[in-house]
Amino acid sequence: MTMLGFLIVFPLIIAAILLVVRNNAARSVVVVAASLIIGLASIWLVAVGLNGASPMYFELSSPLIDGICTAVGVVVAVTVVCFGVKYKNPLAVVLALIQVALSLVFEMGFAHGIHVETPLYYDQLTLLMVFIIGIIGSAICVYALGYMEDFQAHEPEGSPDRRPTFFALMFVFLSAMFVIVFSDHLVWLFTGWEVTTLCSFLLIAYTRTEEAIRNAFRQIVMNLLGGISFAIGLFVCALSLNTLSLTEFLVIGQLAPHIAVLAVTAFAFAGVTKAAQMPFHTWLLGAMVAPTPTSALLHSSTMVKAGVFLLVKLAPVLALCPIPGGMLTFVGGVTFLVCSCLAITQSNAKRVLAYSTIANLGLITACAGVGTPEAVWAAAFLILFHAIAKSLLFLCVGTAEHHIGSRDIEDMDLLFDRMPSLARFMMLGIMTMFIAPFGMLMAKWATLEAFTTAGDVLLIILLAFGSAATFMFWAKWMGKLAGIAGQSRNVELTVHTSEWIPIMLMAVLIGLGCVGLPLISINLVEPYLYYVYGELAFPIGFDNLLIAGIAAIVMIVVIFAGLGHSTARKVDVYLAGISVDNNNRTFKNSMSGVTQATARNWYMKDWLGEQRLDLFGTVACGVFIAALYVVAALSAAGLF
Amino acid sequence: MAFASKSPWVIHYDASSCNGCDIEVLAALCPGFDVERFGIINTGNPKHADIFLVTGSVNERNIDVVKEIYNQMVEPKVVIACGICACTGGIFHDCYNVIGGVDKAIPVDVYAPGCAVRPEAIIDAVVQGVAILDEKSKALAEAKKGA
Amino acid sequence: MQILITVIGCILFAVLAPIVGCLLAGLDRKISARMQGRVGPPLLQPYYDVRKLLEKDHVAVNSSEGVYITFALIFAVIAGGIFFSGGNLLMCVFVITLSSLLFIVAAYCTRSPYAEVGAERETMQVMAYEPMVLLMAVAFFLATGSFNVSAVFSQSTPIITTIWLVFLGFLFILTIKLRKSPFDLSYSHHAHQELVKGVTTEMSGPTLAKVEIMHWCENVLFLGWVGMFFVWGNPVSVVLGIAVALVAYFLEIWIDNNFARVKWQALLGSAWLVALVAGGLNIGFLMYW
Repeated sequence: MTMLGFLIVFPLIIAAILLVVRNNAARSVVVVAASLIIGLASIWLVAVGLNGASPMYFELSSPLIDGICTAVGVVVAVTVVCFGVKYKNPLAVVLALIQVALSLVFEMGFAHGIHVETPLYYDQLTLLMVFIIGIIGSAICVYALGYMEDFQAHEPEGSPDRRPTFFALMFVFLSAMFVIVFSDHLVWLFTGWEVTTLCSFLLIAYTRTEEAIRNAFRQIVMNLLGGISFAIGLFVCALSLNTLSLTEFLVIGQLAPHIAVLAVTAFAFAGVTKAAQMPFHTWLLGAMVAPTPTSALLHSSTMVKAGVFLLVKLAPVLALCPIPGGMLTFVGGVTFLVCSCLAITQSNAKRVLAYSTIANLGLITACAGVGTPEAVWAAAFLILFHAIAKSLLFLCVGTAEHHIGSRDIEDMDLLFDRMPSLARFMMLGIMTMFIAPFGMLMAKWATLEAFTTAGDVLLIILLAFGSAATFMFWAKWMGKLAGIAGQSRNVELTVHTSEWIPIMLMAVLIGLGCVGLPLISINLVEPYLYYVYGELAFPIGFDNLLIAGIAAIVMIVVIFAGLGHSTARKVDVYLAGISVDNNNRTFKNSMSGVTQATARNWYMKDWLGEQRLDLFGTVACGVFIAALYVVAALSAAGLF
Repeated sequence: MAFASKSPWVIHYDASSCNGCDIEVLAALCPGFDVERFGIINTGNPKHADIFLVTGSVNERNIDVVKEIYNQMVEPKVVIACGICACTGGIFHDCYNVIGGVDKAIPVDVYAPGCAVRPEAIIDAVVQGVAILDEKSKALAEAKKGA
Repeated sequence: MQILITVIGCILFAVLAPIVGCLLAGLDRKISARMQGRVGPPLLQPYYDVRKLLEKDHVAVNSSEGVYITFALIFAVIAGGIFFSGGNLLMCVFVITLSSLLFIVAAYCTRSPYAEVGAERETMQVMAYEPMVLLMAVAFFLATGSFNVSAVFSQSTPIITTIWLVFLGFLFILTIKLRKSPFDLSYSHHAHQELVKGVTTEMSGPTLAKVEIMHWCENVLFLGWVGMFFVWGNPVSVVLGIAVALVAYFLEIWIDNNFARVKWQALLGSAWLVALVAGGLNIGFLMYW
């Protein structure tokens, strides 16, 4: 329990220190030390937790913390209202006021009678999240040191240095995430939830440009909707179920799903907004304006993962509740297919990554909606590998952007020449995202099995077509990186060590994760499943995982040691005519002038129009969610 | 045993021919003469080809193209000059812009004269070229062993 | 234990598949020639071609292309080994997809304009056939109760009886996988020259030989998928499976010789439509009735 408290409080202390430290060197020391401590503490907690197979609950009774929760809620609302007034966004103000009113009424009127014996806990799923937050989250903080230095250098002269706030927010974010995964008390969880919303709002608005502000408000509006829904869920819990403990709620939900329908639907809706599912996906796309470490943090280890974490926690109840379960499977499946197709049409690397994140979160959401043990197994590994691979990719794209001056995939042509190590890391990240034998595909395999055994035709079809689209956009990106012309200048010598270390760490984690997948399954995911469902699920089978593990090692060796070692004599590329400069692909044209052969990737924009597909997904998912919410409310009303 | 003779893949280039010989070259590659019986395939890619069929007298414009295609072919390789223009320049030999024969640009192994060259002559030339290809292939294998 | 069987399967496949695949390729050229009123090359012509390619000088445009191709070949062999040793069908599908990816990246890394266009088309082709392949695996699971290929031998009837619609859909995309016209967009065995030689433009000599052997192995694997539909508990049914696979191969050669190449839109659209209708209906039927 000390450790739980430490992980929550320590980042807050660091954040407070960082807020006042204005010296670069001092900040670096603090961030690196703090990240190291958080990472080690997380590993220690996971190691300790592995020994006990059942969850640990911690008794704690402190009105002080309840008071702090209320205060934090008010602070969040006040901050949003201040920004809303300053930048004239009435919608955000109204939503923030509604939410704070709801939570105050709830705190004053309903919550006092209900006592949660064990507000803090951890189980194996929590440990998985702790690992992700503690290791990946803090690695991103270290990465941000070097990145933000370059970022500040790229800013126009005289622009204010907001890095103290930036780093402080990053650590508050980590703390809030720990609150979310450790809290059994739903009100505490809600507090963490709101803090992540506010932190990402402030991080997205970091540059204070018009676009950043606009996108930040889009984020806050959508997530406040989710927050209000969460508050509604709390009301229902308190009124009709008389509990505010997540564990008790899940038990009641499993025993009597019909009573819990509205609450589960409300929580599921909150999860959907936070996990940026259609129609709420636009906030995550807009979040791309923020500096890259923010994106990496939002996409891999925090924020959106809070959304899917809640959904996966709810999975056993969702399996029994067709209304919210159906909502999640439909929304998740459609989001997966539509966003995978949309990713094909994008050339901005960060937008491709964003669409891919939304698509994969869709898959996790659909798994949670299915709610069977196999589906949860798949969801757990999707969360883990997505976090590692996506953070690796964001870090690589961020570094590439600072050294080639663009985040456009077209400009990453010849990256294999220009940044040989970085390109290899990026290729590893890309392969981890979409191809066997790497982790994400193993998890997708489990997903396919889970959907098949659950008997959901629609999901199987959405998954099959979405996976095909996934292949397209990753393969063409990887192809662009792989190009070799031989003579380009190596520009990666100036990459900061603080950027290399997290990138290498992620690559190592990918290797360990792919090989150790059976171990993670046996020690973390299966105990969780056994505890929650009373049965085991091991979808893929040990032999197949073994083959995949070996193949993954082979591929990693090929990428890092094999490429570039063929002994063949070097010759020129065929340009069908007279080459002028073969490495530049220039040739003499029919008018004796010089022409350069250029090739752009394939975006299929006529086929997969962004607006058309986006509209389809938004409308379909929006209508579906609204309809099922109403149905859930009506069915609950029948009960009251 | 060298296998080069069993699968001679060709590439065809028109170096300022009047198109007469090109029609005959393509005729030889068409089903009527069915050169695939001997494993001959028209590849259209110098990197895959073993035999280079050149027609026309070669002029200042395309001599570099002829050279580049030849250079991009992978050893062992054989060049066949198809038609009298490719052999000597033919009726164009004293034109101001004509080089006058493929062998002024690249080394030629077999000459197949004619105006236009008959498909039978081309097939004959390829058969001769194949023998040279085998020799070159053996020489390359020796060189590889030696090295 | 299964892993040992898989390893043995891979070794056997590595030895036998090139032989069978080579003969099949020879047969293809022979039959195509006859369909065009020609005599055609000797049956062993593909073998001669590969031997010649191995004799050629070892050159490449960069020092990575050959590495990609070598591993594309290795993973194609592993995929075949997994399938024919009765291993997991999904694993087989994923490993052969990895092989395709490496083949595509090999073409991309050359930065030849022609190879790049070929690689992009190849990527699009993978996207076109992948849904049907995945749906086939799911249908296989629903028909046999397992993803293991060996499960067909414990069936009392061949799975074609329950998933014939999926089989028809698979036959459609088989044309893409075997690189037959009208779906040979990325790289054709015939002398279409608008792309020079598409994906393989920059691959020459021994590298191209590896590509050829890889295609032989792939062909054997894909025909194995065809035969799988017709095999059940009766051991004699293996003969039926082989016979049907050969008929399917003949059908593909016939299609190859009778249809002109289509545009990519037609390829992608038709392949996805077929996957949706054939896969969706058949799987839906199996699940709900």
